[in-house]
Amino acid sequence: MPHLLLADDDHDFCALLERYLKIEGFDIALAHDGETALALALSGNFDLIVLDIMMPGISGLEVLRRLRPLCRTPVLMLTALGEDADSLRGFELGADDYLGKPCNLKVLLARIRAVLRRSEQVAAGCVDDGVQICVDDLSVNTHSLAVKCRERPVDLTSTEFAILESLLRSAGQVVAKAALSEKALRRPLGRFDRSLDMHISNLRQKLGPLPNGNERIKTIRGVGYQYLTE
Amino acid sequence: MRGRNFSMYRLFWKLFLSFWLALVVFAGGAVFAVSAYLDHAKAKQELRGREDGFRGMVVAAQLAADEKGYPGLLDWLRERDEDQLVPLLLLDRDGRDALGREVSAGVLARLQRHQQSAREGQPDARIPITLADGRHYWLMPDLQGASLSRLVARPKVIALQVLLAALSGGAVCFVLAWYLIAPIERLRKTAALYGAGDFRHRVGPSLGRRRDEIVDLAYAMDSMAERIGNLIQSQHTLLRDVSHELRSPLARAQAAVGVARQQAGEVADAEFDRIEMEMDRLNELIGQILSYYRLDAGQRPTAAEIQEFRLDELVAEVVEENQALAAEKQCAIGFRSAPAPSPFAGSEALLYSAFTNVVHNAVRHSPPGGRIEVALDRAEGEWKIEIDDQGPGIDPGLLERVFEPFVRADASRAKNTGGFGLGLAIAKRAVEYHGGHIAARNRAGGGLAMVMHLPVAR
Repeated sequence: MPHLLLADDDHDFCALLERYLKIEGFDIALAHDGETALALALSGNFDLIVLDIMMPGISGLEVLRRLRPLCRTPVLMLTALGEDADSLRGFELGADDYLGKPCNLKVLLARIRAVLRRSEQVAAGCVDDGVQICVDDLSVNTHSLAVKCRERPVDLTSTEFAILESLLRSAGQVVAKAALSEKALRRPLGRFDRSLDMHISNLRQKLGPLPNGNERIKTIRGVGYQYLTE
Repeated sequence: MRGRNFSMYRLFWKLFLSFWLALVVFAGGAVFAVSAYLDHAKAKQELRGREDGFRGMVVAAQLAADEKGYPGLLDWLRERDEDQLVPLLLLDRDGRDALGREVSAGVLARLQRHQQSAREGQPDARIPITLADGRHYWLMPDLQGASLSRLVARPKVIALQVLLAALSGGAVCFVLAWYLIAPIERLRKTAALYGAGDFRHRVGPSLGRRRDEIVDLAYAMDSMAERIGNLIQSQHTLLRDVSHELRSPLARAQAAVGVARQQAGEVADAEFDRIEMEMDRLNELIGQILSYYRLDAGQRPTAAEIQEFRLDELVAEVVEENQALAAEKQCAIGFRSAPAPSPFAGSEALLYSAFTNVVHNAVRHSPPGGRIEVALDRAEGEWKIEIDDQGPGIDPGLLERVFEPFVRADASRAKNTGGFGLGLAIAKRAVEYHGGHIAARNRAGGGLAMVMHLPVAR
């Protein structure tokens, strides 16, 4: 039974969501402020954290910022409607996905399942062909989730890992945005969904340029991304 | 300022001309009065300087008589009568004027005095003009004969003085009129800013230490702007805050519907669909209000929201997405684009919503079977996007107001055609955010044309 942490300061909303998700087969823990959410996230062994940004005390973004260096649990952010800048900031801090609030519960459930499938797949290393992918100075172990760049370990979120893996399996070729979204994010990409761009931007930062100084992941405008090889 | 003619300065010119005219009349009258007074005074005191000048006249008259005889003397006299303000009389020994003019008793008395002193051989006696045949004539100024009618008949005499008086008077009036009108021009510009919705401008302090009715008006306008600006601001804040606050109960309601649907199974599915649809509508309205007031408050999208994209691709996409909506009304959307290889830098999401809102609007008001034409053109330094429909158009009085929030072109049809009355307001703000502008006009052949201009680079 997947174990979820639900962090939102609206008690009634949490209670409704808890009831709904329990019937859908989730085990739920609740937190109503930033401090509790952070403490629980660090202590408990959660499969996913649903994190509201607007919370008393430390905000959801701050929770994420403090959490990420210590823990790679997937995070789905709930952002208030019309505050798109918040979601972009969340991606920079290593969130796996976001959803505007108010939202339809069916949509929320689908998103939760997509993120979970992604991280389960990554965690299980269930990709049948080969365990170790090596391209130039980069080596990715789909079993242990270890990513090494120039012999130095790199810490990636499960979403970033899934995207990198998809790109590496087609290294040198252009991967269409829509296909990448379906494969790595496990959902179709919305028209102005910039989540993929933000994950790619995080990957670029964490991996740095190729040994020859060229950029590692190229944006092909209007099409998708390409992992370049030397 | 260009394109405005003198009528804009009507008050200025009225003041200026009336001051000038008044001054000219005054100055002209003053010049005449002063000179007449001076002449009168001189006549009384028989000033030496005047007498010297007069002796020159006598010499000149004698010269004319010597050269051309009596007719020459008369010609000379007529010329002097033209250019002298004070009439010169030429009297024979009996006191009759050579030109037959009336001779006053005072002049006659003076003539007799002169003749007397000449007979007595006094040294300062006036010398008569002597003709070849031995006749004597005396040249006598008739100081009392210098009248206003004589002056008016001889404008050359004082033309220079009057011109100088008029010019200097005009300069004074010009400064005076400008002093009065300049602050009014400032008031006009400020009022134009208020008209455009900018209530932050204040005009009073810019008028310096001046104190008069115009400054009173300026400060009254300032406090009016302050009040109106605050009212509008608080209204905006209220609407925005209410929208903000509505999101929490709406989120709870949506969650409750989710749970209820889960528990009810298939029962009342249609009703749950309806509830969810209405909540989505409410959600959309709140989203539109918030994004409108975010743009209206001048809050700019962050750098992360600005990207480079192809404008022609974006417009084509919007057209494509709305074909299905148009097909429901048996309408079709045509799209024509100029080559647009260079990318456009801006907020793709904002422009997407702007184009979508305008295209939606066109589809909504198209008659069944109508055609909507979308055209993207590259003009001098800007992109022009025109969306034409074959609908009923808009009442000319509403052509500008349709871009205000919650103003609809057709109140009666609003409920059937959907929309909240915010689409065009958001489109306008989104286009203005990119430094462009949007306008609506009724087409000559019927239907409405929405034209958006977007500058290529800012």
